[in-house]
Amino acid sequence: MASKNKARVVEKNNGEVLAFSEGAIRNNAMVVEYCRTSMAALGGAAAGILGLTSLYGFVFYIFCAVAIWLLLLLKAGPHWQKYFTSRSSLLSSGLSGGLITYVLFWTFIYGMVHVY
Amino acid sequence: MSNSVAKYIFLFGILLLLHAAYSAAQHRSYLRLTEQEFTALPADIILQTIFSLLLTVYGVTMVAGDFKEIRSNIDLQKKTWMNLNNRPSFYIFNHRGHIFNPMLLTRTGTGKGALEAN
Repeated sequence: MASKNKARVVEKNNGEVLAFSEGAIRNNAMVVEYCRTSMAALGGAAAGILGLTSLYGFVFYIFCAVAIWLLLLLKAGPHWQKYFTSRSSLLSSGLSGGLITYVLFWTFIYGMVHVY
Repeated sequence: MSNSVAKYIFLFGILLLLHAAYSAAQHRSYLRLTEQEFTALPADIILQTIFSLLLTVYGVTMVAGDFKEIRSNIDLQKKTWMNLNNRPSFYIFNHRGHIFNPMLLTRTGTGKGALEAN
């Protein structure tokens, strides 16, 4: 309980001091991570169904990453500053971690649908 | 949007994606049987795959849970001053009441004796 109320203090360029709740930040990061992992798995499955090969698959991964970014911003609504400190890090944070999951599902579903 | 609706959207998207996968596999086996060359999937399967992917991921984002406001004073606004000021480590059970009222000791049970000794 004590760690939940801990605050992270950030000083802005114009000298304004903001205090963020550690527990809320962790909760939001967990939700984003959940969505991102699901997106990597489902996007990989879709890429496998479409039968994408080589570079097209990775282009499709970028498309997926942008799509999940837009969907998360849609979920957050117009006041995204209430939930995230930065919008661009929301797009770029879990990219390399999701790529492994994506390639796994891509190759698996491609093999299931197109090879056998 | 309620959570159950989001769950149904998610399930529907998964089913649609599975159906697209089955269609694609059928198309491949049809090409193999008629000995044609594979160039690209039919447009309807491609559209169904992308549409169901977006639908499923939309369902996932709705199911995943709600965001919390990260500004720390939002949490504190709901709490009362009494609640904030409550520090269990500093509770004091041994007080000077018994000096002012010796009768209190005899009336309240025996358990307090150990505390009164020091």
